[in-house]
Formats: sequence, C-alpha cells, structure tokens
Amino acid sequence: MAKPRPVAGVRPHKRVRPNARRILAVRIDEVWAYGDDVRDPGRVTELHDMRIAFKRLRYLLEIFDVAFAADLEPFIDEVKDLQDVLGDVHDCDVQVPLLEEHLAMLEVHGGVTDAGGGGDERPGIRTLIARRRAQREQTYAAFLTEWDRLQREGFRGRLEAALGIAPGA
Amino acid sequence: MARAWDVPGLVPDARFRDAAGRVILTRWREMMSYREGTLRGEDIEYLHAMRVSSRRLRAAMDAFADVFPPKSFRRHLKVVKSVTDTLGGARDLDVAVDHLSGLLPGLDDEDRPGVEGLVARYRVRRRGEDAHIQALFERLDEEDYARRFERWVCRHTGVDARGLDPRPPGGGS
Repeated sequence: MAKPRPVAGVRPHKRVRPNARRILAVRIDEVWAYGDDVRDPGRVTELHDMRIAFKRLRYLLEIFDVAFAADLEPFIDEVKDLQDVLGDVHDCDVQVPLLEEHLAMLEVHGGVTDAGGGGDERPGIRTLIARRRAQREQTYAAFLTEWDRLQREGFRGRLEAALGIAPGA
Repeated sequence: MARAWDVPGLVPDARFRDAAGRVILTRWREMMSYREGTLRGEDIEYLHAMRVSSRRLRAAMDAFADVFPPKSFRRHLKVVKSVTDTLGGARDLDVAVDHLSGLLPGLDDEDRPGVEGLVARYRVRRRGEDAHIQALFERLDEEDYARRFERWVCRHTGVDARGLDPRPPGGGS
C-alpha cells in the first residue's frame, strides 16, 4: 500500500482551514496521480492504491468539513462511491487467488474433505471463482464509467474551488 | 453502519491543535463505546462499528499528525492500527460467511458441498479470531492504555476528554 506523501508547511498553532487546504491539496493530487494507470484493468496494485487514496481523501473531507463554507457533502458522496466500487474490484482481486488456492488443496484430496459433508467440493468452488471473475469485469467497468464521468464533469476543479485550493497547487 | 459521533465544540475557525484534540478524543471514545458489544459477540454489527470507528480514528490521527511528536505519535498509531487489524480478521470472515450462506439456497446440488465446506471452514477460523480480540483488549487493560492515550492527546492539544465528554448521535450513553 502506498504511504501518504508528507505535507510541508502545516502549522499546528494556526487555524484549521489553511492547514486543511495544504493537506487536502496533496491528498487530491495523490488520487489523480493514478488516473492513467487504472485504465489498465490488470493494474491490481494501482487500483488498490487509488482506493486507499480515495479513502484518505474522503475521511479528510469529513474531518475538515466544518472549516469550509462550501457544502462538501456532495463531494464526499462522490468520493465514497468511487471508493466503494474500487473496494468491490479489490474484493474480487483478493478472493479469486484465495479460492484458486483452496481449489488446489481440494484437488490434492480428490475434492472431498470433512468440511464438505462427503460430496465433491470442487464444482462449488469453481462456480464461486467464475462468479467472482465475472463480478470483477462488471465492477471494473462500473469504476471506469464513474471515473470518466468525474473527469468530464470537472470534479477535481470543482472540489479544489470549493476548498479554495489553487488548481494544481 | 453506525454514524460518526458529533465532535463537541468544534467550530469553523478552530485552531488546528484544538481541533486535533477534539476530533481524536471523540473518535477514541466512539471506538471504545463498542468494546463490550464486540466482546460479547452476540451481534456482529458491534464489531463492524468498532472497526469502522477505529478507521475514523486513524484517519483523524493522520490528519493531525503534525500536532504530536513523531515518535510517540507512531507508537500510538500502531496501537490503534492493531485494533483495526485484529477486528479486520474477524470482520472479513463474518462478511464471507454471511455472503456464502446467502448464496446457498440458490445453488445447484452439485455446487453445495463446496460452498458448505467453505462456510464450515470460515466458521472454525472465525471462532479462533475471538481469542485474538480478547487478548488485544486484555493487553490494553493491563497497560491502562485508555487513560494513557487520553492523557497523551491532552498533553499535546490542551483538550481534556473528561471536559469534552463526547456522546453518540441522539445524546445517549
């Protein structure tokens, strides 16, 4: 998991708003830094890191919301939606290898173990793997649709404007 | 999912240091409010709420990291992370059992043994997670960690948890 970049110039004795701007500018930039990589569905690590970056951004927006006059709730909702759909993609990326490992173990035991009540456990696991793979394709496509929409609608620029952050700061 | 508690006395033009104390102590008390329900284990939503709160607490600590000395900050963040991670193992299994059990009625007969076998394995592993959770809380108690954490936050922010007295939405205890 990518560590958050350090934020320079935070001054604890000052007010929340200017410090929040500095922190949020860096965290927004971290999300968008993955913009090109995640167009490749095979970039599992980058998709996961983008989810974490979205999550950090969402929590920060919730924490610092009080310091800004603009209504941040619509932005928080959008960020949460992207975080959730990337979470679904990640669940599939984690589950499929685990199920494949389980299937390999079952193959060694001829498909039958004490846990399965005597029947061949392999068909059910193969079905779960197939479902998860199909779900991965669907959720990735849903993510890409939403991500493209945010670009078209200038989400980043609107969020930075609401926070009083200079574009590309 | 449990709603985040409101932060008492947090105003738009607050000082960063003061806001740090209020937010972190509120999230700490929020997280610990689910402790007994998590330990009882009768309702998986307590464990879920505690884990979500621990994530909110970590996010708050990250946001206000510059208020604290780096060394002690890292030490306390590590403890909070251990709460998230310990609960995470159990939560993942709760979700998996719930999901797979929900699939069972719609499965073909051929697919049932595999999914039932997986549910049985996850249930065994889930029971093992209870011991980790119990051990975590016992360790925190032995170290008097709650008092130490709250005093550490107070020392660096000037906010006292006793004076702050955060409450869940609706004002219950």
